[in-house]
Amino acid sequence: METLGDDGIGIGSGGESDKERQEEAEQEAALLRDRLRLSVISMASSHAKTLGMTISEPVVACIADLAFKQAEQMGRDVELFAQHAGRKSVNMEDVILSAHRNEHLMGLLRDFAQELKGKEPCTERKRTKKALKNENKVQEPIEMLD
Amino acid sequence: MEENFDPDLIHAIFKLVWSRRNKKVEGNQGIDLEGGAGTSKKTRATTANASALKVSCELLRLFVAEAIQRAALIAEAEGIDIIEPTHLERVLPQLLLDF
Repeated sequence: METLGDDGIGIGSGGESDKERQEEAEQEAALLRDRLRLSVISMASSHAKTLGMTISEPVVACIADLAFKQAEQMGRDVELFAQHAGRKSVNMEDVILSAHRNEHLMGLLRDFAQELKGKEPCTERKRTKKALKNENKVQEPIEMLD
Repeated sequence: MEENFDPDLIHAIFKLVWSRRNKKVEGNQGIDLEGGAGTSKKTRATTANASALKVSCELLRLFVAEAIQRAALIAEAEGIDIIEPTHLERVLPQLLLDF
């Protein structure tokens, strides 16, 4: 029985060059997934440390995979939003809109975007001030909608 | 958390997703007889500006942070100081709904 989760089944792509390209894309995806996993591992361990807890390996791996899937989904969403607005290029508003499911989250992103805009003239390399501000804001978990 | 994702990495992931979609759209256009003006927009590659990438990095960072914070709350409530998969399992549904 087919479900929505099945990907690529049904419509035949035909031709070997398509398969080669697909394999290349899969290899690239695997590489990106690994790079993301490394970032997540370091972020996760340092964040858990600030909370005074340790985080087990399978949990980190799971979060890394989820983050990759989130990134992919985000890419699809912002592309659709930009196209819908008749644009070829994704801008900040598209990204902020993609977070519409949680008001608080959207607010946080808007604030972040405002700060970025404010700093536009000078290129910021060490975002220490902004990172501190954001850290204060995300001290408690984002409120869950009822 | 001082660290954040590398915007180039996120950009690379986006480009992968966009090129995947682009190929599908091009494939469909071959089959689709109506073609023409309406579909020509979609075959141009999507791009993202630098600030959009930074906000995307921030969004993903928040995702990771939220996942850990919410799971940590569950672990703390059980009196354990190591975050286990069962803790993540408990928070996963709401986390995915929020993001």
